[in-house]
Order: sequence, then C-alpha cells, then structure tokens
Amino acid sequence: MGNQRLDFAEFYRECKDECLFAVLVSVSDRDAAQELVAEAFSRAWASWRTVSRHPAPRAWVVRTALNANISRWRRHRREVSVPDPGFVADLAVADWGADSSVDPQIMAALMRLPARQRQVVALRLFLDLDTDRTGDVLGIAPGTVQAHLGRAIAALREDLTPERQQESQS
Amino acid sequence: MNDNELLTAVREQRNKVPMTTPVEQVISRGRVLRARRRIPGLAGALAIAAAAVFAVTALLPSSHSTSHPPGIQLAAWTVVKHADGTVHVTIRELRDPAGLQRRLRADGVPASVIFGNTPNVQPNLCQSYGYGELLGKVVELPTLPGPQPPIAMTIHPSALPSGVGVQIIINQSKIGVHLVIASQGCTGA
Repeated sequence: MGNQRLDFAEFYRECKDECLFAVLVSVSDRDAAQELVAEAFSRAWASWRTVSRHPAPRAWVVRTALNANISRWRRHRREVSVPDPGFVADLAVADWGADSSVDPQIMAALMRLPARQRQVVALRLFLDLDTDRTGDVLGIAPGTVQAHLGRAIAALREDLTPERQQESQS
Repeated sequence: MNDNELLTAVREQRNKVPMTTPVEQVISRGRVLRARRRIPGLAGALAIAAAAVFAVTALLPSSHSTSHPPGIQLAAWTVVKHADGTVHVTIRELRDPAGLQRRLRADGVPASVIFGNTPNVQPNLCQSYGYGELLGKVVELPTLPGPQPPIAMTIHPSALPSGVGVQIIINQSKIGVHLVIASQGCTGA
C-alpha cells in the first residue's frame, strides 16, 4: 500500500495539470474540469493496480473524466443548457486571465473549435498520444482523428496567425 | 507563424492551468470508491458463507439438537427445534403450509399456517387471543420482514399461555403472526 501510494502520488504530480488542461479544453468549464479530473484520479487510485499497468494511464484518466462528464450531463440534461461556443470563448478569456498565465487568445481559439476537434487536440497535443491511441480513447477511427486534427490546426492557424502577426508588427 | 510554432504555442498552455486538488483529497475519495466497490463482493461472500453454514446446519444438526432425524430439510421451509425448546422457522417458499403446520404442532407449537389469503370460512375457526407484549415474547422476527421470502422467525413455546396458539398468515402483501385461542379447528388442539 505504501508503494502504491507513492507511485500514485508521483503519477498525480506529474500528470494532473496536463490531464486538467485536456479535460478543460474538452468541457469548457474550469470548475467542472477540476471536479471531473479529481474524480477520475480518485477512480484511478481505487483501481491503481489496473490503471498503473495501462499503456496510457493519462488517457485513462482523461477518458474517465470525459465519461463522468457525459454521465453528469445525462443526469442534469433537463436543467443544463448547452453553452453557446462564442459565449464560452468570452468566458474563457475572462476566467483564465486573472490567476493563470494562460494565453487568453489561444484559449479562446481552442474554445471556438467544435467539441470533437477539441477532444482530439487535447489528446494529441496536450497528452501527446499517438493517432491510434487517440482513436481508441475517443472511439473513432485513426483516419478520423487525423481529419479532426488537420481541421483543428487549420482553424487555429486562421484564428491566431493574424493576431500574432499584428503583435509582431506593432 | 508556421505550424510548428503554432503547435508549440498551443502546447505550452497545458501546464499553465494548475490542478489545485491536493493528492490526499484524491486518495481519500479513492478509498471511499474502493470501499463502496467491495460492498457487493463482501455481501456476496457473506451470503455464500451463510448459505454454507445453513446447509451444514440443516444437513448435520449435531450441535442444535432437534426432534427430527438428520437430513430433514424441505426446500420450501425448515423447522429446527433447539435444546432450550425454541423453534426456529425459515420459510423460503410459500408452499406446503399444511406440512409446516404439522411440523410446528409436532414440535410443541399449537399452530395454524396459511399461505395466501385467509379463507373466508364462517364461523371463523381461529379466534384472536389479542395483541400486546405477549406476542413479542412468543415470536421473534429478527429482521423487519417484507412479504418476500426468506422469512425467519423464532418461536418460544414456553412463553405461550395454556390454551393459546400461534397463527401465521403469509401472502404476497403481508406477513401476519397472531396469537389465537387454541382449538381443534384452528391449531389442532
């Protein structure tokens, strides 16, 4: 039990921020993401013997958090409306500018992506999963992962490049 | 900005939103989840153990002296008379009420057993002796029973006043245990 706790604590320390960010980009709500990731890590601890042998334990945590989010949404769907992407983007800028060094323009651009593209970006770019593993986690074909990632990068480029260029020119 | 610079800039964001939940809190919640997950398994193990003990008790009633030869166990119900005179009844299926009634009477309990609805017979063959503390002294129902079997009860015949018997009525909606005035038509004596 002592080693288990040590291993898990190390895993948690190393991966918690990445997992949080991956879930945050997917669910667009910082508090919800924090709760979901904490719950997913708790489940990982409860099944640590299995999770520690998983080929991608971080992906397990993120998948568990996203599943928990789906379950939560199903439970409350009569009470929770689907947020407008533009509103979420504005909220993102307002929310994360104060107490973190996150780039609000990048966050806003990420939030403007469709949900599936955000999930692919989260797993491919923030967790560094390969295409096959990302497809496994999301339950989609590798080719679909590549297509979503390609569209997401194109959208981010279009969204961010003019601002960056303007910044560099000024 | 080329794609590599773009992806680097996007990737750099991933460590800029800190997860603030302490690991102790995560582990504490994990313990709760693990314990909760073990409950069904533990309950199953206890049920198996209880079933094993029950089967051994029923088939080899050595320490619990009964008035019956070993090996008597009906699937529907079991009656075990203990050395102190108490009679333990377990009803698993609502079958053969007449057999259970005979067995209880043989074990010294003037009894009337009805599975199903009370027959509408006039005049009523069983007259109530009344309720009160005495019923609790005569019949113990260890758990609050629902109408679904298995139903277990312990009867203390020594607590029965002379001329008083026990009537057990079980149907889909209720379990009724009453004290009745013993009579040939009701309790057989």
